[in-house]
Amino acid sequence: MQNSRLAHVPPGSQDLLSDDVRRRRRVQGAWFSLAEERGYEEVIPPTFEYEEVFTRGAGAELASRLIRFLDRDGRVVALRADFTSSIARMVATKLAAAPLPLRLCYAGKVYRQEPEGGGRRRESFQLGAELIGDESPGADVETLRLAIGFLRALGIREFQINLGDIRFILPLLAGLEPGAAERLRVAIDRKDRAALAEGTREFGAPAAVVRTLAELPELIGRGDMLLRARSLAPGPEAQEAIERLRAVDALLTAEEREHVVYDLGEIRGLGYYTGVQWEVFVAGVGRAVGFGGRYDHLLGLYGADRPAVGFALETDALAELLPQGEGR
Amino acid sequence: MSGLLRIALPKGRIMEDALRLFERLGSGIAPGDRDSRRLILPSADGRFEFLPVKNVDVPVYVESGVADAGVVGLDVLKESEPDVLHPLDLRFGGCRLVVAAPAGTPYPHLPGGVTPRVATKYVESARSFFAARGVQVDLIRISGSVEIAPLLGLSHWIVDLVQTGRTLEENGLVVLDEVTRSSARLIVNRASHKLRLEEHQRLIADLEGVLEGAVRSPDASTRTVSQS
Repeated sequence: MQNSRLAHVPPGSQDLLSDDVRRRRRVQGAWFSLAEERGYEEVIPPTFEYEEVFTRGAGAELASRLIRFLDRDGRVVALRADFTSSIARMVATKLAAAPLPLRLCYAGKVYRQEPEGGGRRRESFQLGAELIGDESPGADVETLRLAIGFLRALGIREFQINLGDIRFILPLLAGLEPGAAERLRVAIDRKDRAALAEGTREFGAPAAVVRTLAELPELIGRGDMLLRARSLAPGPEAQEAIERLRAVDALLTAEEREHVVYDLGEIRGLGYYTGVQWEVFVAGVGRAVGFGGRYDHLLGLYGADRPAVGFALETDALAELLPQGEGR
Repeated sequence: MSGLLRIALPKGRIMEDALRLFERLGSGIAPGDRDSRRLILPSADGRFEFLPVKNVDVPVYVESGVADAGVVGLDVLKESEPDVLHPLDLRFGGCRLVVAAPAGTPYPHLPGGVTPRVATKYVESARSFFAARGVQVDLIRISGSVEIAPLLGLSHWIVDLVQTGRTLEENGLVVLDEVTRSSARLIVNRASHKLRLEEHQRLIADLEGVLEGAVRSPDASTRTVSQS
């Protein structure tokens, strides 16, 4: 008799066959051909790492979603939950003497715990790139341009990159006790004006901070919004954030600019981001299909501090957008 | 993405209030469509289409992007924590999530250190509320007529929504504590907000404009929450 327990795969894992496989191969093939053309070299980090690689820089949210197990010697290892964390370790150790800048790309699976019933898989394909050793706005634009070029190469026309700079937000949350900062962080992320007003009242924030937080959900738009935001910037660090975004805007082509929205309330993404950071949205998918940003101190955790910027895109979501038969 | 902005509404009282709000934007449902059994109802001015669903399903439709936006009570959002934007408090649909029990029931501790049993539909909200106060409870998830649970001995306390307090009163229950205050919120899908930014900004500004007007109208004062 058939064993029905063995006939199923665990929730969140899946078999991929025929057209599903062809679509993913086509996305990955288009990715490597573009990335290599632009000078990015493929790397393959390990499938599992000591868990600290993913917990030290990426923050509590990713740490809570690792799929962990005990190694033979009792140390805790985790399945790869994030390529950038692994590549940062790899570069800071194996490639510490390599000439900069380094351009690296990858494609493969990441593994993250997801609650059941949410419709999310626990293993999914990602692809992405890292540009290490260049702190200029030109490097930010190079990675944005690579992502935009790739989406276009897949035939995707309707997409938006939501671009912010975490340095605009950090001064607003500085000095608050962790619980209060977290509540405001969630309110900023949800553009929840009621919760922002309630929070700033409750925590007795200074008037300038209250005003900027109240305006923050509105500080989203094209390049002209950045000028409006300049007068609300809380201090020199936030001014730098605005200047960086304006420098990026100046370097983009008119066509690229159509795909970029500046959003100073953009604080999604992993804990290691230190400057510009962005999410990618494409028509037909209800959530972000990619994340990117600058992580200038992540490599420093391994003793080789270097500025870096990169992004990751969700291969599965992009593959599902390809028209029927496009996988062939 | 193209077509009309699709807005999920929770069937019932909040949907009626929400449609009244959209009517004041000139975007009500055409009279002929109001009582139809169509699954999706277009607004008379062709700006939106409304998707009436069960209230707990509103966040599911909005988070997935099937609906671009939705209207739902904060109580439902706190329970399911969907990954959506919450740009606007719509100020109607006011209610309170409370801890209640038959008059005379001890709170927050039972004599002899007995662990209280709490019946509720709002398990997540109740869990975080009691955890934050360091009160250990056993939660019992039930899906309706929560107020009879303590009368039948299923639980010591309940956590439930209160609008007027009449149902509690009729069952001899009194409010012991307040978990949270709720009102209807506009929620927006994250991807739709970016891909159709100008449309969403206009919707939010329009609704805000109508609400600012509503504060001064007598109509709004009749809908404030009455105490239990």
